[in-house]
Amino acid sequence: MLSELTASSKRLALVGLAKNTGKTVALAALLRELKDRDRPIGVTSVGRDGEEHDVIDARIEKPSVHLSAGSLVATTDSLLRASGIPYEPLEETAVRTPLGRVLIARLRETGTVEVAGPSVAADVRSTSDAMLAHGAEQVLIDGAVDRRAASSPDVADGLVMSTGSVLSDDISEIVLQTRDAIDLVRLPNADDGSAAGHRLRELVGNPGDGEASDASRASMLVCEDLQSVALPPRFVLTSDAEQIAQVLDANPTVRWLTIPGAVPDRFLRSLVHPVHHRRRELVVVVSDPTKVFLWKRGPEWYRRQGIHLQTLNDIQLEALTVNPVAPQSHCFDSARLRALLREAIPDVPIFDVLDPDYPGLRQPAPAV
Amino acid sequence: MHEVDLTAVKPYADHIGDGLVQMSFTLPVPYSLAARRAALELASAMGFSEPEVVHYEQLTEGYTYFVMFGRCTQTVDFAAMQGEGFDIEYMSEDEIEAFAQEHLGRKIVVVGASTGSDTHSVGIDAMLNLKGYHGHHGLEGYRSFETFNLGSQVPNSVLLAKAIEVGADAVLVSQTVTQQNLHVHNLTELVEMVEAEGMRGRMILACGGPRVSNELAKELGYDAGFSKGTEPHHLATFIVRELAARVSATG
Repeated sequence: MLSELTASSKRLALVGLAKNTGKTVALAALLRELKDRDRPIGVTSVGRDGEEHDVIDARIEKPSVHLSAGSLVATTDSLLRASGIPYEPLEETAVRTPLGRVLIARLRETGTVEVAGPSVAADVRSTSDAMLAHGAEQVLIDGAVDRRAASSPDVADGLVMSTGSVLSDDISEIVLQTRDAIDLVRLPNADDGSAAGHRLRELVGNPGDGEASDASRASMLVCEDLQSVALPPRFVLTSDAEQIAQVLDANPTVRWLTIPGAVPDRFLRSLVHPVHHRRRELVVVVSDPTKVFLWKRGPEWYRRQGIHLQTLNDIQLEALTVNPVAPQSHCFDSARLRALLREAIPDVPIFDVLDPDYPGLRQPAPAV
Repeated sequence: MHEVDLTAVKPYADHIGDGLVQMSFTLPVPYSLAARRAALELASAMGFSEPEVVHYEQLTEGYTYFVMFGRCTQTVDFAAMQGEGFDIEYMSEDEIEAFAQEHLGRKIVVVGASTGSDTHSVGIDAMLNLKGYHGHHGLEGYRSFETFNLGSQVPNSVLLAKAIEVGADAVLVSQTVTQQNLHVHNLTELVEMVEAEGMRGRMILACGGPRVSNELAKELGYDAGFSKGTEPHHLATFIVRELAARVSATG
């Protein structure tokens, strides 16, 4: 069951590959399984949860977020009042959203609340830590749309990903896109304990526990002998293939490229030709997988072009949930979709939490 | 005069509480008495009492256009909503200049663009360029703002690089094209890139477009969303107030 697999993550992020892949349904399943715990669960949302209708397509009804008495929640004052559930305010945060200021509260009764917590990753972390400090056993961080920032190891300890038929009306395309997204989340770690690994970690910045990584450092080219050359500021955000080719020619023994900040797909695509043309292999080292922005090609495709994406900080992927229904469109057979995904991604637990086969539906969650 | 009950607000035309609504729509049916009948039935189904067709005409072969009246039978609790969101009163241009001078005392740097494949620059031009919109000039015309309008079809990474280069206080993104919800992916990618660059806490992010709202802005991770009817001083008011609040929060 989802709750058993994710129990060790104090701060658990739920991230979807797109809208309507079932993040909130997975959250609801977790809450149902966790409702009899001695210690309360804390809930926050990077977007908005439990609203009646989808903000982008109003025809789509959204699952509600049902919280047990005693649960902690981070949401706006007005949404708490609108829920009609009596609550005890615990902390007024400094976080303001377009829907109002975020408050941490303890619910006095069981009920349904619209959850709209902090959107900014650093605020998600501080709000989650505040809920843990107020006695939450675990904090569930629901994502929004396809946003991944809250799954960064700077924010969360574990991740549940959601995929679904909404990605495509071609089932093999869903499997491919999901596999690419999982490959990205589980990039190989660049630090193998060697001197090179240590050097790479130094260059990208090695955040301690709970300390955010420093994306403002320069991107560096690192040669075989571990000598490094800094790239100009914003090189990765703006350069084209020609500029990249010049840099590679000036540094013929370069083996690694460390990038502490964002890596746009545009940049990776511009790398392909210069790297390939020079029959090189280049390892692109990022702080964590949420820094990489891929469009159509996954890490495996880039690897075949000689560009190896690696990370220094791992994301702990706990499970993948599947929504076989694309709202207002099409749907695939849940068992078939899960079987195909399992074949392509053999080592991740895969669930459809609404399927009658799902263990969380067959029996009530055991009291702890 | 009728006292307005803010806990049960409904539309009005002649007197408070009459619920009168004027609506117009097109049905894909030939202009005929049957079409008129269909429109009346549809309005009833929509929940309007005493529906009335005040005008109808053939748009083109097989299509009929209607203007109707009807009484709305629903009410909404406005009193419960007043605490919500950025309930801001807009300042005039002079007030904004004075406020910026007093609370910030430096130029506010704003970078804007229409991102991704979107070729429409009308929204971002209306907000940023001197000529502005609706008789109000854009932020470029303010003494307290320094603006960079990168135009249309700007990749998110290029917009972000410019924002970092010039030390932007605020980044504005306009998305006009919304087919297949392309705007949603474009908008979330920018937010996530700003996060990846570690700059999210240092930049106000605002998005604008015909289908943008504060609810959508929250979902996407923006600080505010601006839709149709936004004038440059509305945006300027939000930016100066938000910056001042951030300055006072960090001391």
